[in-house]
Amino acid sequence: MLSRVAERVYWLGRFMERAENTARLILVRHNAVLDLPKEVQPGWNLLLQVLGAEESFNKLSGAATEKNIISFVFGERDNPSSIISSLTAARENMRTTREILPSETWERVNSLYLSVARRSQKDLPRGVRHAVLNNIVQSCQQVTGMLAGSMSHDAAYQFLRLGWNLERADMSTRIIDAASAGLMGHIDETSPFRNVLWISVLQSLSAYQMYRLSVRRRVNPADVLTFLFQSTDFPRAVAHSLQEIESSMKLLPDNKDALKVVTTLQRHLRQTDCSALVGPPLHDFIDELQLQLVDVHNAIGVTWFAHASEPVAASS
Amino acid sequence: MVKTKITSPKPYTRTRPRASIDWTNYDPGEFYDEIISAPGRARPATRSLAAFMRKQTIKHLISRQQAADLAIQEMGITFTVYSEGQNIDRSWPMDIIPRIIPRNEWQVLESGLIQRLTALNLFIDDLYNKQKILKDKVVPRDIIDSSPEFLKQCVGIKPRYGVWSHICGSDLVRDADGTVYVLEDNLRVPSGVSYMLENRAISKRVLPQLFERNSILPVADYPSQLFDMLASLSPRRNQHPEIVVMTPGIYNSAYFEHAYLAQRMGAELVEGADLVVGSDDKVYMKTINGLARVDVVYRRINDDFLDPDVFRPDSTLGTPGLFRAWAKGNVGLANAPGAGVADDKVIYTFVPAIIKYYLGEDPIIPNVPSFLCVNPKECQHVLDNLPTMVVKPANESGGYGMLIGPAASKKELALFTDLIRKNPRNYMAQPALKLSTAPTLCNNNIEPRHLDLRPFILQGKKHYVTPGGLTRVALRKGSLVVNSSQGGGSKDTWIVDTEAE
Repeated sequence: MLSRVAERVYWLGRFMERAENTARLILVRHNAVLDLPKEVQPGWNLLLQVLGAEESFNKLSGAATEKNIISFVFGERDNPSSIISSLTAARENMRTTREILPSETWERVNSLYLSVARRSQKDLPRGVRHAVLNNIVQSCQQVTGMLAGSMSHDAAYQFLRLGWNLERADMSTRIIDAASAGLMGHIDETSPFRNVLWISVLQSLSAYQMYRLSVRRRVNPADVLTFLFQSTDFPRAVAHSLQEIESSMKLLPDNKDALKVVTTLQRHLRQTDCSALVGPPLHDFIDELQLQLVDVHNAIGVTWFAHASEPVAASS
Repeated sequence: MVKTKITSPKPYTRTRPRASIDWTNYDPGEFYDEIISAPGRARPATRSLAAFMRKQTIKHLISRQQAADLAIQEMGITFTVYSEGQNIDRSWPMDIIPRIIPRNEWQVLESGLIQRLTALNLFIDDLYNKQKILKDKVVPRDIIDSSPEFLKQCVGIKPRYGVWSHICGSDLVRDADGTVYVLEDNLRVPSGVSYMLENRAISKRVLPQLFERNSILPVADYPSQLFDMLASLSPRRNQHPEIVVMTPGIYNSAYFEHAYLAQRMGAELVEGADLVVGSDDKVYMKTINGLARVDVVYRRINDDFLDPDVFRPDSTLGTPGLFRAWAKGNVGLANAPGAGVADDKVIYTFVPAIIKYYLGEDPIIPNVPSFLCVNPKECQHVLDNLPTMVVKPANESGGYGMLIGPAASKKELALFTDLIRKNPRNYMAQPALKLSTAPTLCNNNIEPRHLDLRPFILQGKKHYVTPGGLTRVALRKGSLVVNSSQGGGSKDTWIVDTEAE
């Protein structure tokens, strides 16, 4: 497999996952805004915080109204983390790797892109929001399913999987970080809404139901963090994503150095006492975790994508 | 009390919707029409199509056309045009009404195409080696000497089977009397074959009924034929030659096709930077496992850009050393560099003589009568009759820099008179043919539109010709320009076996 192609497939995985997660995020925010009284919830700004897009929003868009923020996160092409930007990048990476991917997945991604591109020229008012975003989530999952079910689980597939899981781990840490930061500032320990807000963190990661099944206690911060960081069963938990990354790497050639970076991170995560993170230490912990995820990303690049620059006579 | 008899209601007979497609209103005029021979009369091989359409309303056909357009958009069948300073991906335009050629006629054309490519390959091989044809003065030496497509670097090289142009796309047109001519040969990097394949996939989607009633030769075999031909060029005698399709990249107008063919052949799609030539003069590609040997390169990149060591040194699209590896026989290259010397539009006029010289046969498919401006007498004839001529520069493709006399303004005629006088070697001219037409869905109606046909011919160890090819159609009324970059469309092309029915 060509290194250039491997790199594009990896980014395809990342951008598809990013588009899906962003759509989920807007949906969850949408539901939360409808649920909670205005004074206890951080509102639409939180969306920009999670995506690290506050600065570019202030530069590009006007007032931080619901309409402006949604347009910015959904259909603003000048916002590199918007859904339309993610889908454009995913489609472009797929277009240049079409020869190795099942052709029906390209048709699906292409038609998803076309429908979002058409929609992004308009607003996303509350009345249609759910349908449009849900369609994005479902289409992304359909593509993931088609790839899992109809593509050989060869090296190319492992690069897709690396992309999906690394993006997912990154997004999970962002969501926990921003959501909890938003929480801490707004309500004190005794607020009756505290519980509801931790539930919304779980919901942002589609984790509520699985948390319930697995934890079987009332929702409390220490358990939520343990579940979201350390569960190796729940697919959106950081530990699970890392486990997937490790298993993909094991199927790729010359994996020693890259594997070492991941296993170090896994050990670090395993040894963390999540109940001690509740409160101020959480933010620093997540910062460190994100830097380590960047290390994993870099290790993947150095190991598999860096082009051999010296023309050497290899054995044939 | 009278008992009323209860009977089942009369079966509801649906009156057939008034057929709005009335072939008696369809008039191709002075042109040869591929489907309708005279108002109201279909040609024998097209009768079942004509009858099918007679039962359709125009509304229904338009909805089928819309379904086709949507499928094309969703399948992402595009071509790239450079316009207004940026590259735009446009959906491939396809008209759903197929173009039909009877199989017995096709068989003649097929043998004519094989004859032509065989002779042209013998000619190229001769030019780069013994040059017998020049010594025998069948082709004037100064035409070759002045041809920018004759690459001195290729002199003395003998590719396998003596074949230089492995993939050829020849453009065929039909004149008013029904004669089919070869308009030009594309021996370098002909494109369009993926659209031929996709057009068939689309018509099967939107008009499946028609495939039940006709015996249509399938075209889907092309990628495996191409693969076999390329595999026959491998320098290593192993079971699994590593074949790559080399593309200039996503901004090339035919990128869609490059990716398509790589995908269908299970070959790697590479860019120049993905390849390296080692100190052993062998070609390698950069993979996640390190370097891997490449046996055959199907390159879709022009000679100029292929290898900066030998051709344009500023090319970033090519791979340094590729030419050297090929010349040493360490990699198969299709098409071979230098093959373009034989699709020069001036050389074109010598093709009948070339066929006769190498094969001792008369050409099965005639050339369009042509006038070389380098020849003063012929040049005068061209200048005197410019309004009825099509003038082409000797070395351009894609329909650029052409003059179509009957459609040209006085200003354009004056411009070309000037250009031809200044540089006669650069121009050749042909009388404007009355290109044949076929019914095409335009402006919510069925109207005749002019078309041509590009079949694809493979030559390696043996020959293969696509059954049919890519039919390109000029969508503007009266226009003869079929190039997709200039508003042309396309049609699925059916070779119909009337005897099998």
